[in-house]
Amino acid sequence: MAGARILVFRIAELLCGAEVTAVREILPRQEATRVPGAPGAVTGIINVRGQLLPLVDGRRALGQSPAADRGSIVLLEVDGQTVGFTVDEVLDLFAVSADDLSDSGDLPGVDPGVVRAVGRRGGESFVLLDFDALLDPIISV
Amino acid sequence: MDRSQYAELFLAESREHLSTVNQLLLEWERDPQASEPVQGIFRAVHTIKGMAATMGYGKVADLAHRTENLLDLLRRGDLSATDEILELLFQSADSLDRAVEASVAGREADLDVSAVVRAVDQAATAYEQMVPRPAKARPSAPVVAAPPGVGRRVQVVLRQETPLKGARAILILRRVEALGTLFAVEPAPVALEAEGFDGRFAFRIEAAVSDEVIERTIREAGDVERVELVAEEAAAPRPEAAGGPARHIRVDLRRLDALMNRIGELVTSRDRLAALSTQRADPELEDLAVGISRLSGELQEEIIQARMTPVWQVFDRFPRLVRDLARRLGKQIAFRVAGKEIELDRAILEEIGDALVHLLRNAVDHGIESPDERTALGKPPEGVIELSAARERATVAIRVQDDGRGIDREKVLAKAKARGLVEPSTETLTDDLLVRVLARSGFTTAARVSDVSGRGVGVDVVADRVRALGGAVEVQSRPGEGTTFTLRLPTTLAIVRALITRVGEERYALPITHVAETLDLDAAAVTQVDGRDAMTLREAVVPLVHLRQLLEVSGEEPARRPVIVLQIGERRTGLVVDRLVGQQEIVVKTITPLTGMLPIFSGATILSEGLPVLILDAGALV
Repeated sequence: MAGARILVFRIAELLCGAEVTAVREILPRQEATRVPGAPGAVTGIINVRGQLLPLVDGRRALGQSPAADRGSIVLLEVDGQTVGFTVDEVLDLFAVSADDLSDSGDLPGVDPGVVRAVGRRGGESFVLLDFDALLDPIISV
Repeated sequence: MDRSQYAELFLAESREHLSTVNQLLLEWERDPQASEPVQGIFRAVHTIKGMAATMGYGKVADLAHRTENLLDLLRRGDLSATDEILELLFQSADSLDRAVEASVAGREADLDVSAVVRAVDQAATAYEQMVPRPAKARPSAPVVAAPPGVGRRVQVVLRQETPLKGARAILILRRVEALGTLFAVEPAPVALEAEGFDGRFAFRIEAAVSDEVIERTIREAGDVERVELVAEEAAAPRPEAAGGPARHIRVDLRRLDALMNRIGELVTSRDRLAALSTQRADPELEDLAVGISRLSGELQEEIIQARMTPVWQVFDRFPRLVRDLARRLGKQIAFRVAGKEIELDRAILEEIGDALVHLLRNAVDHGIESPDERTALGKPPEGVIELSAARERATVAIRVQDDGRGIDREKVLAKAKARGLVEPSTETLTDDLLVRVLARSGFTTAARVSDVSGRGVGVDVVADRVRALGGAVEVQSRPGEGTTFTLRLPTTLAIVRALITRVGEERYALPITHVAETLDLDAAAVTQVDGRDAMTLREAVVPLVHLRQLLEVSGEEPARRPVIVLQIGERRTGLVVDRLVGQQEIVVKTITPLTGMLPIFSGATILSEGLPVLILDAGALV
């Protein structure tokens, strides 16, 4: 894939990335209201300036150990829907060239179905997440 | 404030007074013996006269003055309210309406009200020449004693231990409203919701039912300590609130639109600031950005609230429209309006006004049969048209329902086949298919072109309009039984009154639309019916739903729990919650559908501390 600007964040011990075109905003962690019956990865709904949006727990969505109650919320625009995604820590915003991204090369402990590419930042690898695939089983349109 | 602003104010207030006049005239027409309407009409016309004189609108003031003279004779009982007189008063209200509009538009000079002025004067002087007094003499006292069964004062005292006395009082008022017309509700509705409301309230009711029925209706709401009914001796002056709207500060819609746009820009700037603060990674700047974000969100919320308008502001002009049409077409029609208090965004409300005119015209012209035809069919000669508004799930449903002949499906189907709108093999039109065919541009089956419902164009215009607002049109039609059109409008901006309930640590909102009553679970006899919990309520079995179990809330439930009885049509369900927290107006917001989410939520709202709360859908629970 072509080069892109990537927001890099940490979820548990994993380095993850989202294309900045899909990122609407970064918010501090806030309390969510539980939605009975919703998938386990959904923390609930949050109030973002009057808009009520689903909040997805990044750790649960990626099969990591349950989250500490810290970190940030990355607001993502996916398929016309705005969704909050909790991360442990937002690290960096940087441009990568296509050369730095490879569409193969799984990282251990992550479902390859939700990985779009693997890139490198400094000496570390990160997974560029496929949010369409990640949120597909959660949002029913 | 310059003169033009005064003129706009005059226009707005005059329209309201004229709307009151029209409503009271319709009331009077139904019961020419009633003494209430003329008092109210007299006051409204008198007010218009005074305002017009202040503004220097001579023709309005003159016409109002002469109408007032005629009304005075009627008020004193010197003249009786014959059909001719009432028709004349309707005409004079129309002329006043035109005169007011023309005067404000600066076209007073072109205005000719002389014909009506003459007619009104003639009617007034005809009395002076009448010797002796009309045979049907009416008491000449200015105020006529109310006939039996009219204008009773009702005092209600709720039990001391009643939870949420305000909600109960409003419930009772809604129940008795179904029996007749309420006025002079004391204390004012605002006070009912206030903290210190002690459970005592009173109102006057005009209804053609016995005292026993009124008392029973009130007591059935539950938690009633005492009900007292007193027939009114002399009719007290009808308070302004009876027909007129509550007093508010008037705000030009253009101002609100401008404010909304400015806030839109603010939101854009705010987003840029947020992005910038993220880039700079400056915590102070970020704090500021978050603060500004929150404030602009709240501001947006305020504006949305300010735009909410009850549907009566549009509905109130329809009784007159239906009456006039029915007269012209020789039909007998009882027109009923329900759900007038439901609120919609002012822009949506203004958009659907024309659509409703189309549907009402269709109902009068094509729906309701002539009295002879109805009699021949074994129906009562008087047809019924009902216009109603209701909150349903995540929408506001506005319905126009008639008990007329129904839509001729054969004819529609033939026409639809001819135009290639349906498969040639289609044998029957379902309601669903019917609405899709009717909504096609220019579709009509009208054999004749009438000046009432035009060239049959209507449903397509209505459907376009409603779709443009993000809504949908539904139709149900049964041959010989009638037709119902439902306009389902979006609720993103809709506001509803709701009970806030608590289950464990969680809160849920429940619109009071379908709440029949609340009571203590301990007080109810809980039994088992078909393996499900149920309770006996006034000799009827009502199934129970435990919200705690349904929502899988863990923890201990309190020993004393309230039951909210939900009622839709004849069906009832008791919803067991941990606690009732209070009631308030909530803004209904849509939420993103999530996989597996229980299908019992119609949306969510934000309570004052900013936390989202899910809204329970009574329709899915009953």
